[in-house]
Amino acid sequence: MIHVENAIILGKESLKERMKHLSGTFSYEETAYHLPVSYALTGNAVHSADEARAAFQSTGENPLVAVECLTAAAETTAGKAPPPYTGFLPDAVLRTLGYSLVDGSILGLAAVAGTPQSPDAASALCRELQEKYMLTFLSGGIVDSLRGAGVRVGPELRLVPLGESPSSAIHFIDILARVAMMFGGVTPGDGERLLSYARERARAIAIVFPGLTDEETALFDAFRLLGIPILSAGEYEGNEWIRVSPSEAVRTGMDLKGIKVSVTAIPIPMACSPAFEGKSIRKEEMFVEFGGGRSTAFELLRSRPASEVEDGRIRVIGPEIGEMRQGSAVPLGIIVEVAGKAMKKEYEPVLERRIHNFVNYGEGTWHVAQRDIIWVRISKEAVSHGVKIEHLGKLIAAKFRMDFPDLLDAVQVTLITDEQGVISAKREAEEIYAERDDRIRGMRDTDVDCFYSCTLCQTFAPNHVCIITPERPALCGAITWLDGKIAYEIAPSGANQPVPKGKVIDAERGEFEGVNRFVKKASHGEVDRCSLYSVMEYPMTCCGCFECIAVLLPEVNGFMVVNREFRGDTPSGMSFSTLAGTIGGGAQTPGFAGISKAFIVSDRFLQAEGGIGRLVWMPSMLREELRERLVQKLEERGLAGMFEKIADENVAETIEDLTAFLAGVNHPALGMKQLL
Amino acid sequence: MTVQTLSDWTGEVRSVTIGASRADGGTRTGTVTVGGERDLPFIGTPPTGHRPLVAYEICDDRSLWPAPVNRFLGDRASDPAEWARWAGQEYAPDLIRLFLTSTRKRGFSDFESVTSTVENVLQATGLPLIVEGSNDPELDSEVFRRIGEAGEGERLLIGTAEAGHYRSIAAAAMAFGHLVIAQSPIDINLAKQLNILLREIGLSQDRIVIDPYTGALGYGFEYSYSVMERIRTAALKGDDDLAMPMISSATDSLTVKEVREADPSESDSVSVSWELYAMLPAAVAGASIVCVRHPSTIAPLRAGIDALWSSPGGGG
Repeated sequence: MIHVENAIILGKESLKERMKHLSGTFSYEETAYHLPVSYALTGNAVHSADEARAAFQSTGENPLVAVECLTAAAETTAGKAPPPYTGFLPDAVLRTLGYSLVDGSILGLAAVAGTPQSPDAASALCRELQEKYMLTFLSGGIVDSLRGAGVRVGPELRLVPLGESPSSAIHFIDILARVAMMFGGVTPGDGERLLSYARERARAIAIVFPGLTDEETALFDAFRLLGIPILSAGEYEGNEWIRVSPSEAVRTGMDLKGIKVSVTAIPIPMACSPAFEGKSIRKEEMFVEFGGGRSTAFELLRSRPASEVEDGRIRVIGPEIGEMRQGSAVPLGIIVEVAGKAMKKEYEPVLERRIHNFVNYGEGTWHVAQRDIIWVRISKEAVSHGVKIEHLGKLIAAKFRMDFPDLLDAVQVTLITDEQGVISAKREAEEIYAERDDRIRGMRDTDVDCFYSCTLCQTFAPNHVCIITPERPALCGAITWLDGKIAYEIAPSGANQPVPKGKVIDAERGEFEGVNRFVKKASHGEVDRCSLYSVMEYPMTCCGCFECIAVLLPEVNGFMVVNREFRGDTPSGMSFSTLAGTIGGGAQTPGFAGISKAFIVSDRFLQAEGGIGRLVWMPSMLREELRERLVQKLEERGLAGMFEKIADENVAETIEDLTAFLAGVNHPALGMKQLL
Repeated sequence: MTVQTLSDWTGEVRSVTIGASRADGGTRTGTVTVGGERDLPFIGTPPTGHRPLVAYEICDDRSLWPAPVNRFLGDRASDPAEWARWAGQEYAPDLIRLFLTSTRKRGFSDFESVTSTVENVLQATGLPLIVEGSNDPELDSEVFRRIGEAGEGERLLIGTAEAGHYRSIAAAAMAFGHLVIAQSPIDINLAKQLNILLREIGLSQDRIVIDPYTGALGYGFEYSYSVMERIRTAALKGDDDLAMPMISSATDSLTVKEVREADPSESDSVSVSWELYAMLPAAVAGASIVCVRHPSTIAPLRAGIDALWSSPGGGG
C-alpha cells in the first residue's frame, strides 16, 4: 500500500528542482493555445524556460504547469512520440473531439494510467469504457498490457495512447483546457473560470494503476482541483483517492461525475412530445378520467434511499384500463419515488409539479391541477392504440430520467386505481403536503429582497407570469417561494427565475418596480403593472391552474373565494368552471384573482382592499379545510368570531341570500369602506 | 409618406453575418448580414435593420427535387458545383442553399461525398453558403462533422436543427465556427424552447437563425405568417430567446397540386408565381432570408422586396 501524501510532497519537491534546471525554448505544434494548461491558467504564452518558471511561480507551483513545461521541453528535444503513441494532439483533432462531446457521441473522458497487475482486468475495464461511450486516454504501461491482451488501441477505437510514461497524462489536461477555451468560452488567464468550467461541465474521470513515480503521483493528485475523481485501481491510498477494484472503477467514476447513458426513446404506444402539451381532451374524446371532483385522485413525488428505488419499475395496484368502463371516472394515485445522489427532500415539490407537464406531453393523456386535486384524462384514441395505466408510469419515469439526468439516478412509479388504496395513500400524501406548507409558513415578504417567477404555464397561457413570494405561493398552490428558489438552483435557465423586488411603488397594493420590470418582459410586453396584494388594481394574471378564485361581490362590499373542487353555483351566479373560463389564459381581470388556498390565510390576502375582513363567502368544504388556520388568522387580525360570519352554500346560494345572511350576522365587510 | 412607428419597442433582432471573406479566414467573395431590425418589417424611412435577402436552393441528388425545376434546369442540375456557379452568375442570388438530398435516401453511406460536395460548391461559387444535411440519427453525427470540417473558416449557415435533432448541428457550429438554422413546426413556444436548448448546449444566440417553417399559400401559409409576426413582435418586446433573424423557404410551394398538375406550357410561370407569392409575404411577415428553387423567381422576388424597402407603407 502506498500512501499518496508522502509521494505528493516528494513529487512536488522533485518537480520544483527540475523546473530550476529547465533550459532552452520549446513549443507544441499545430496549436493556437501555446502550452494550453499554462496559457489557460496564466494567460501567458510560455515558450522559454524563464517564462515556464514565471508561470510555475504565479500558479503557486502547480504540478500541472510543471509537468506541462517539462513534457513540452522533452518532446521538443526528443521529437514526436513513436507510434502508437500520439503525444500532444493538435487543435484540429481537439475540434473533432469537442464536436463529439457536444454531439453526444462521446459521453465523457477518462484518463487511464500506470501498469495494471492483471492485463485481463485492464482490458475488461477499457472495453467497459468503450461500451459506455467514454473517450479514453492511456498513458504508461497500460498501453503495452492492452496490446499484450490483444486489445487494439487508437483514436478511432476511442482508446488514445498518449505516451509510454504516466506523465504523458498531462495531455489529458491540456485537452480539457483547450476544450474549455474553444467551447466553454473560458478566457486564457481566467484560472477561476477554468476550474469552475472543469468542475461543473467537464465529464472526466481518472483511473490509476500502480507504477507512478512521485512526480506523477503529484500530477494526478492535481487533477482533483479540476473536479476529476481519482480512482485508484492499485495500491494507492489517501488524499481523497478512491480505492476501487478494476471491475467497479468505471461505474464508480461515472456515478461520481453523473455521467449517464441516456434514455432516448420512451417505450409506449403513444407519441410523447412538448408539442402535445397544449392540447386538451374533451369529454367526447375521453375514454376514462381521474379526479377533477369526479373521483378521488392525487399525485405525490418522494425521494427515497437508492436501495428502495428500482429504476424503471412500474406497478399498477388495482384495475388496469381493460377493466374500466368507457366514459367513467376512476380513482387514481400517482406515486413517483426517486433516488439520486444530488436529490434533496426540498426538491420534491418542484419535481412533483413536473408530473403535470409530462402527462400532458403524451398525445393521448391530459392533466390539470396538482396534489390532491388533479384531473387526468386518457383519450379513446390512445386506448385504441393500446395505451394502459402502466404506460402513464413509464412515461413519467422516463421523462424524469431524461429531464433530470444529473439529479436522479432511479425513478419508480406506482399507480393505484383501487378506491381503498387511493384513499389510504392520499391520507399520507396530505400529511406530506401539510409538512411542505409548514416549511414556508412564518416567512414574510419583507424578509427577502427577491421573489421568484413561474412561467411554467406559458405553453397554455403565453403571457401569464406568476410572481411567487414567501407569503403568496404560486396560484396553483404547488410552488412556494422556497420551491422557486430550489427550482432555480436545479435549472438556472428554467421557468423559475429570481425577481429582484426593487423600489416599492405602493406598499399596500404590493407593487414593486423590479416586479413590474420583470412582468413586462416575461409577459412579452402585455402586462405593465402587477400588484401582488390587490384584486382590484393591476391584479396578477391567471393561467388556468389556480386552486381558488377570489371574486369581488360589489353588492355586499366583499369578496368570495371558490375552490376548484366545488361544483355548484356561487352567489356570483357563476360556477368555478365558468369563472375559470372568464379569467384564465394570461389576462389581468380587475375584481378577479386566481390564488392558492394557502394565500387565503396570509396577511397579504386582500391587503389593499382591507384584508381578510372582506371575506364573505366560501364553499363549506374549503371553509372546513382551512377552519383551524382561518380561526387563528382572524383572531390575530382582531376579528375573533368572524369565522362563523363567513357564509357558505348551505346558508347562501344566491346573492340575495348572501346579502340577507351577512346583514343578519353583521359581517364586518358591510361596515368597511365602499369598494366601488 | 411617413409611417409612424407603432410602438415603443425595447428589443432588437440580432445581426448575423453569414460567410467569411479572405480577411476573416474564409474564401467568400463577399459576406451578407441579416437582422438588426428595431421595428416591424418595411416600416420607417429607411426601414430598420438589413434588407431581406434571397437565397437560391440547389441539391446534390435531383431525384428528390421538384419536377418543374428539374425540367427547367435540364442537365445543369446534375452537378451541384456547376449548378451553383451557373445560378450565381446568371441569377445573382444573395446566397446559395445546398441541400445534401443524397443523405435523405435510404441506405446512404457515402460520407466522403458530403465532404467533396461541400468543398466543390464552395470552390464553384463565392457566395455565402447555407448547407442542409441529413435527418437521421444514424447518420447525423458523421454528416454534420464532415459539413463542419469541409466548411471550416467559411461561416456556413447549417441546417436544420429541430427539437430532438440538434446536437450534431450545434456541435458542428461550435467546433468549426458556423451558424445554425433552428426549425420549429409553426409554434412560437417550440421555437423559443429550441433556442433555449441550443443555448444550454453552449451555442451562443448570435449564431442562430430561426426557421418557423413555411407552408404553401392556401396550404397553411397563414399560420406561418402569423407565427413569424409573433416571433418578430416578441423579439421587439425584448424576448432575447426569440431575437434572431428568420429564414423562410418556399419548399412546400412547388409540391402543391396546382403546380404539379399545371399545363406543361405554364409550368414555369405557375411555379414562379407560387414561390413568389409565398416568399414576398414571408418577407413582409419578418423573414430576413427567403429561399426559392425556381431560378426565375429570384428577380421578381428581389424587385418586390426592393420596392417595399424603398417605399415604406406602399405609398409613392
